[in-house]
Amino acid sequence: MTSISALEKIHLKGLFGDYGDKNEKDLLKISETKDLLIIQIVQYKNSSTSLESLKIDDLSLKNEALNVSSNFDTRILWNGPNNWLLVSKKKDLLKEIVRKFDENNFAVTNLSNSRAIIELEGENAKEVLKKGCPYNFNELKKDNCLNSTFNGMSVTIDLLDNNPNKIRIFTLRSFGESLYHSITDNCLEFGYKSI
Amino acid sequence: MLHIKCPHCGMRSQNEFSYGGDASVKRPELNKEISDQDWDNFVYNRKSLRGKHIEFWQHLSGCRQWIKVERDTATHEIFKTLKANEDF
Repeated sequence: MTSISALEKIHLKGLFGDYGDKNEKDLLKISETKDLLIIQIVQYKNSSTSLESLKIDDLSLKNEALNVSSNFDTRILWNGPNNWLLVSKKKDLLKEIVRKFDENNFAVTNLSNSRAIIELEGENAKEVLKKGCPYNFNELKKDNCLNSTFNGMSVTIDLLDNNPNKIRIFTLRSFGESLYHSITDNCLEFGYKSI
Repeated sequence: MLHIKCPHCGMRSQNEFSYGGDASVKRPELNKEISDQDWDNFVYNRKSLRGKHIEFWQHLSGCRQWIKVERDTATHEIFKTLKANEDF
């Protein structure tokens, strides 16, 4: 069975907006990220398990606001106190997670098929987000993440890189098409390449 | 627009929060006989104060935690925010 990605029907490839007299390298780039493992891990309030010894793909769960632990394949985003979102290219990590995080202390939920993910890359990526999200993006550094709203839709934003800005935006799959339209509308004035 | 300092996430816009009511109301003790009037006061009756007010807010589009906020209802100035299990 083949999986259908959240934006398959609306994500068109090509050049759009005010791209005319600009170098293609300077344009914003929009892509859909798919086939990732997305797992929510929540530690129960009455759990006394120490997090120090628990590692996934050599990454630990840190209880620090905005923090992302990352390596090449996997990123663990802080979602709230004792609440993390693991995003990985390694699909087989799920077995390891279920084995290490016992059900008496942790709630592990597979969200892989319930999120739409848009990746924005370019110097103006933060400017695009500022149009719809009330967060002060000037404070956001590389390997930071946050939950917020974008034009009323709940989103998780993950800054993968800052030179140039490379930002991953997660939303509920059902909001995917609306978010895509909002983001692409905001990109028009800068010109963007959809890849 | 208000800016509320979430004790977990830091300074955020009011758009990310949802108002949760008066945080000074205490639930009557479990298994204790109380009058209809006291129960009424707990469930329905609220003062509409002008001035400092302690409120519950939920950081709905952020960390999803409930927090307490001390806010002036006339000027909207926010004096202090705490985690839901902390007291002023």
